[in-house]
Amino acid sequence: MTLSIRQDRELVRATYRSHRFVLATVTAPTVEPVGARPSVNLAFVIDRSGSMAGAKLPLAKDAVDQGLRRLDPDDRFAVVAYDDSVDAVVQSTSASPEAVANARRALSAIEPRGSTNLGEGWLTGCRQVALSQRADGVDRCLLLSDGLANVGMTDRDELAGHAAELRRRGVTTTTFGIGDDFDERLMQLIAEHGGGNFYYIEDARQIPDCITSEVGEALDIVARGVVIEVSGPPHLEIDALGVMPLDRRSDRTLIQLPDLVSGQELSLVVRLTFPYGQDGDSIAAAFSVSDRTAVLDPSVATLSWRYADAAANDAQPRDRIVDRAVAAAFGARVRREAVELQRRGDYEGAERAIRGVARRVRAYAGNDPELRAQVKELGAAQVAFAAPMAVHELKIQHAQTSYLLRSKDAMGRSRRQPPQ
Amino acid sequence: MSPDGTYTIGELADLADVTPRTVRYYVAQGLLSSPAGAGPGARYDEDHLRRLRLIRRLQSEHLPLAEIRRRLEGMTPDEIEALVTSEPAPAPDSALDYLDALLVHRSGHQASAVLSRQAWPSLMRGIESSPPPSGRPAEPPQVIERSQWDRIQLDPDVELHVRRPLSRIQNKRVERLVELARQILEEDAK
Repeated sequence: MTLSIRQDRELVRATYRSHRFVLATVTAPTVEPVGARPSVNLAFVIDRSGSMAGAKLPLAKDAVDQGLRRLDPDDRFAVVAYDDSVDAVVQSTSASPEAVANARRALSAIEPRGSTNLGEGWLTGCRQVALSQRADGVDRCLLLSDGLANVGMTDRDELAGHAAELRRRGVTTTTFGIGDDFDERLMQLIAEHGGGNFYYIEDARQIPDCITSEVGEALDIVARGVVIEVSGPPHLEIDALGVMPLDRRSDRTLIQLPDLVSGQELSLVVRLTFPYGQDGDSIAAAFSVSDRTAVLDPSVATLSWRYADAAANDAQPRDRIVDRAVAAAFGARVRREAVELQRRGDYEGAERAIRGVARRVRAYAGNDPELRAQVKELGAAQVAFAAPMAVHELKIQHAQTSYLLRSKDAMGRSRRQPPQ
Repeated sequence: MSPDGTYTIGELADLADVTPRTVRYYVAQGLLSSPAGAGPGARYDEDHLRRLRLIRRLQSEHLPLAEIRRRLEGMTPDEIEALVTSEPAPAPDSALDYLDALLVHRSGHQASAVLSRQAWPSLMRGIESSPPPSGRPAEPPQVIERSQWDRIQLDPDVELHVRRPLSRIQNKRVERLVELARQILEEDAK
């Protein structure tokens, strides 16, 4: 079974607009990498602005070099370097041994200088990918930066909009933010709208690990264009607690998931808001998953809920596994909001927002040890956010919430099924 | 093609504009039947090519493979042929069109804009004046590095080659040209 779903509760209130939650987990098949992987078409986009001087730029160049060694001649790559000007250092080419050797020489010539035209650097990388785009491959731009976009196109929403449009047209973007000075909101928005991954690189020494891990994931992608479809009767509102883009149609809601790697498990929480109803009536919703190359099982699973009075609602059992996922998702969302409030200097607002979520989780935590641990963690966050926090700490908090909301591990990598 | 009308995986892939890896992938996914023979001696036939072209066509219309598989099941070779040659649905602009429109608009990317202007007259003069590179193109010299040739099939025997990038307006004109050409070629066939 590719898609598994579970509901937190089965009863809903007849005279109240109840929220109920569904935990949906998509498991990608584990595929042996024997000649059948789709070819990848990558662009490495490197920030060579002045701030990359020192250890960062050599490590980034080295990391790209290591990534290139993992490609086959069926794959394609390009290298773009940007500061205030943008150069396609290596034009999109097949990853033949000679092309990789040439790219290595071109990489070594990249020197730090100038300011940061991140927008155009990124789009130029995407263009290199688009030049060699194939319907059956993985087309992805890898954008590295340690700074703020300060030249050219700098508006976050504009860039995020381009990321979404490019994703619709088959080119995805992964971003790497290095150190304390990059614009994590921008880098995260581009990755989220761009259908790729976001990595926070705290220490320049982690650059090679993160890039090889991303190239490895690109090579390991088994499902692209993955969409969870949820449909229910009119007036049943469907929402996803995460950062996955939603596409609402008249009769169904499509939740767009990132590409899945072999054996990946991706979970997300779907929130349903129920219309008023009659005691005893039932209401159902159907869930299915699909992907562009049909590696996922498209069968439809349904869940149903029954309208009941308040006493029955209060007495009903809860699925703790769903409760924990819901609490974790709300916890991540509020910490993300708190980071924004901190940046604006609203420490009291940050503290109040976290306190509100902690109170709600405590209300249903009961004796569940994991939920109680989450309440405790939120309590600690509440204290931390009540006073000004270091930029570095905010970066960590922001990255962690992004990883959690995208169902990634603490290093930003995809979670996979343990090998059998 | 061999005298017996079969193809190697490389020939088949070239004809359908995919990689051999894609062909193997579709076979593994059950969208194409297994070839006759195995290893380097594996042979594919006309039916494989037709199906492969139809799969590409349906994929370009953003149909998931599961749906494509459903549609292909139980179709006769004639039905597949008819679908492959029918008028395609209008595609949304590609990532490349989108980026060209965006980057040409910006200063600092005059290179692509100039190229488009150069490419356009040669395109209008006719196909014979600018033969496209055959086979795998060699790495082009510096000045035309930003361009690539797109192959548009107008009819089983006629192709149009277009150098990208083109501006949005030029793209629209090419689209019209393609539409008209296909109409004319269809008239001829009657």
